[in-house]
Amino acid sequence: MRVKSIGSLILAFLIAGWVVGLAGGQKIDEATRAWLEQVKVGPYLEPTLYELALTEREVTIYSYSSRVHQFGATFEARYPGIKVNAFDMDSGEILTKVLAEQRAGKFSADVIFLKDPAAVIAELYEPGYVFNYIPPDIKHLLPAEYREPLLVHHISLDVFIYNTEVYESSPIKNIWDLTRPEWQGKFLMPDPLVTTEYIEVLATIVQHAADMATAYEEAFGESLVLSPGVENAGYEWIKRVLQNGAVIVRSTDDVSNAVGAPGQVHPPVGLTAFSRLRDKEKNPQLAFDVAYGVKPVLGVEHQVVVAVVNRAPHPNAAKLLIQWMMGDDYGGWGYAPYHVFGNWPTRVDVLAPSGVPALAELAYWNTDAEFVWDEYGKIVDFWTLNR
Amino acid sequence: MGNHHRQGARLRGLLRGSSRKLGTPQIMLSAVILVVLAVFVVVPVIRIVVDTFVWQSGDVRLSREAQPGAFTLFHWGRVFHSPLTPHLLTTPLVNSILVGVATSALSLALGGLLAWFVVRTDMPFRRATGALAVVPYMIPSYSLALAWLTLFKNQRIGGTAGLFQYLTGIAPPDWVAYGFLPTVVVLSLHYYPFVFLLISNALTSVDMSLEESAEVLGAPRSLVLRRITLPVVLPAVLSGFILTFSRAIGTFGTPYFLGSPVRFFTLPTMIYSNIGMRFNSTANVLVLVLILFSSILVFVSQKVVGVRRSFVTISGKGFRRKPVQLGKWRYLALAISATVVLLAAVLPLILLFWQSVMEYAGTYSFSNFTSAFWLAPAGTRLTEGEPGLLRNPEILRAAWNSVRLSATAALVAAVLGSLIGYVVVKGRGTLVSKTIEQVSFLPYLIPSIAFGAIYLNVFIREWGPIPSLYGTFLLLVLTCVFRNLPFATRSGVSTMMQVSGELEEAAQTFGAGWFYRFRRVVFPLTIRGMIAGFSLVFMTTMRELSLIILLVTPQTRTLTTMTMRYQEQGFVQFANAITVILVVISVIGVWAMRKLGGQSQSGGD
Repeated sequence: MRVKSIGSLILAFLIAGWVVGLAGGQKIDEATRAWLEQVKVGPYLEPTLYELALTEREVTIYSYSSRVHQFGATFEARYPGIKVNAFDMDSGEILTKVLAEQRAGKFSADVIFLKDPAAVIAELYEPGYVFNYIPPDIKHLLPAEYREPLLVHHISLDVFIYNTEVYESSPIKNIWDLTRPEWQGKFLMPDPLVTTEYIEVLATIVQHAADMATAYEEAFGESLVLSPGVENAGYEWIKRVLQNGAVIVRSTDDVSNAVGAPGQVHPPVGLTAFSRLRDKEKNPQLAFDVAYGVKPVLGVEHQVVVAVVNRAPHPNAAKLLIQWMMGDDYGGWGYAPYHVFGNWPTRVDVLAPSGVPALAELAYWNTDAEFVWDEYGKIVDFWTLNR
Repeated sequence: MGNHHRQGARLRGLLRGSSRKLGTPQIMLSAVILVVLAVFVVVPVIRIVVDTFVWQSGDVRLSREAQPGAFTLFHWGRVFHSPLTPHLLTTPLVNSILVGVATSALSLALGGLLAWFVVRTDMPFRRATGALAVVPYMIPSYSLALAWLTLFKNQRIGGTAGLFQYLTGIAPPDWVAYGFLPTVVVLSLHYYPFVFLLISNALTSVDMSLEESAEVLGAPRSLVLRRITLPVVLPAVLSGFILTFSRAIGTFGTPYFLGSPVRFFTLPTMIYSNIGMRFNSTANVLVLVLILFSSILVFVSQKVVGVRRSFVTISGKGFRRKPVQLGKWRYLALAISATVVLLAAVLPLILLFWQSVMEYAGTYSFSNFTSAFWLAPAGTRLTEGEPGLLRNPEILRAAWNSVRLSATAALVAAVLGSLIGYVVVKGRGTLVSKTIEQVSFLPYLIPSIAFGAIYLNVFIREWGPIPSLYGTFLLLVLTCVFRNLPFATRSGVSTMMQVSGELEEAAQTFGAGWFYRFRRVVFPLTIRGMIAGFSLVFMTTMRELSLIILLVTPQTRTLTTMTMRYQEQGFVQFANAITVILVVISVIGVWAMRKLGGQSQSGGD
């Protein structure tokens, strides 16, 4: 209960200051007192966000990540008197729930914290169901691309991985290698129709069709001939990978467990989340690593965004919580649950955990929310037709 | 069975030929049930239908012409008449139906055989078999699918080879490891308890003297089985078939998990992925296709069995039970039962428990043992600070929520199911009866994720006299009740069909009022059916996740929502430990209900 005692210490100071301010020997008449109160000078101070939030008593957050319970607990300890109602569910479920609430006028969520910025922007932000909030204290610490239209909490990467027990370095040098006969049936990836962030990955590959065409030439020494009806090199890669017997599994850990399992003769390569490298701590037998040097890029970024919900019943607590989640102004514990292998903070003053290469050193593609949104249906249909 | 005997003695010889007409209470009851079904079943289904004709906000991604909220035939065209049709509809539908038929056939064989062994024969260890036979349904079929892969996986999906290849050196072919065959086997081992519960319940109620008389008259045992035993349990067989088939064609997890490595996709795969991408209208068209096919099945099977051809077996006469002497076949029976129960219940449970006491996931050795995930105090490094489950107040609260929700939903469903069974059977042949029976079955055919989303959208608003139920525990209960109602109505209907009308009519002749009759005559005689219904709803709700995820509040989180949390964090040990706790609670719940049922039966004459 150290926090509580610090809280009461602060309170004691505040009360002391107030008493001194009033009893400081100044002669104050009633009109002056009213003026002081109006302009918040002398004994009267601007209420802090915490003081405003305290009157709201609680805050409700819908989170894609179950670690909401961890930063919720540290928030409650740091800001006694405000209770965090944490819901964890899929990003898609958050969208469904917020849409239903907003349309019915049942305003219950304060903060949403989720993946799939393309859908969040198009379906929640543009109709005015959610709004951006950048904690003022840290605004100067955030690059512009992570501030608009919605605050980006952190980013992560989806990357190609290989088995390190059998291969000393990545057996694929170029992602077009996956279309060669020797990798037939030896490439695993999560089903984009089920783990939908991989639609973002595929869309980003399609968006970089020109780079994909160049990469093909590097790999095969000739220019790419598109199959009939296929629009560009990005789609061509998807088609050929599927034709080459790509194994579709349910989730990212299915990929990393299959690639990293020990004792394999001809282990597959896979596309999965960078953060799966963390599983090696929980299961030291797993032997896999990221194919850092693969061409044209080692993977694709995706963003996790946070926003305040329209008519949030507890707006000040919502702002305070977002500030806490971002690591507030003195690097509080709010960001800690995400300060892990595979996540990169968007704040320039927070370094990635030790042992993680800096983003600047990695060749990856950014996702473009607008492009993902526009191309989404086409990617889904193309995948469904060709799988 | 003393009460039957006493009742028999009292009622024997009383009026038999009184006309069977609908009394006023029955009409009232039917009306109330119709209203309830209209609100909680028909309206949500209409909502599904309407949604298929409307552009949704996410559909802008599918077509530039999409105008959210406006009318469109796009979704029907996309499913039925587009280049996607074979991939979205035809192939998955055929796969689903094949899985459904094969799974229900195998489940009927397993469940029926086990039920007969346990209830009717002198096979050794009958009680233990009977107790264990329903356990597979309490274990998530996902665990069983994982166990299958542990045994039979080959190098196709990478990773280490399965146990079979390790021991024999032979790589199982793809068709053994993935796709149709393993899906059917795993689903059958998971769903046969439906059949087991319903048939064993029916067999228990059947007067054995029917069979004995036939044997006395010199009929061979096979003939007795075919001509007497089978026909009288036919309603239960039918119910078991319908429940299994509908669940098997509608289930997502196992067929997807075992099928996707060989790109064997079923209709639920397409429904779930479309909902996941929030192409809800496309998903709803597919849901309607699923509903249509299952409804055809229900309709046809009702025609085949025909309510009129049912057999009254719970009559006013008392009966004695003498088991069938299997002779040396007893041990074969035991071997079959033991294999099923060991494979489907004991082995997965041991694996689950083992995987919850591993320091490093996936290493099966004694040096890797840890009790940390069960018992560690908070702050332990291995668990990243999380306390062991048995010390975690959040887990205990979630467990209590699970129990509270499952028990409430099961109780409400069992009572409602019994009442529905009563009006359906009493009014058999009438339009009202048919409507009630068909309508009450609909929710079962809607995939749970879709059902949860519809309940969210319908009940978030005030609605006539019904206030907004959003965020209440009541809404969770209602969702679980109506989605799982068919478990209760099926067992309600099959039990009611066995109850002789003469018992109630006798009581009526003595001037007993309707409530008195229902409470003192009908209810005690059908308690077995209610317990079966209760057990199925209870076990199902305990494992429910996608149905309620959109509706839970932090105060009502259940154990299954906690499993999801740990799985995401890569703590397979915690996730498996929670599954073990779920199974243990289910076992206790079902066992307690049986004890309770047994008592009320002997005391309720």
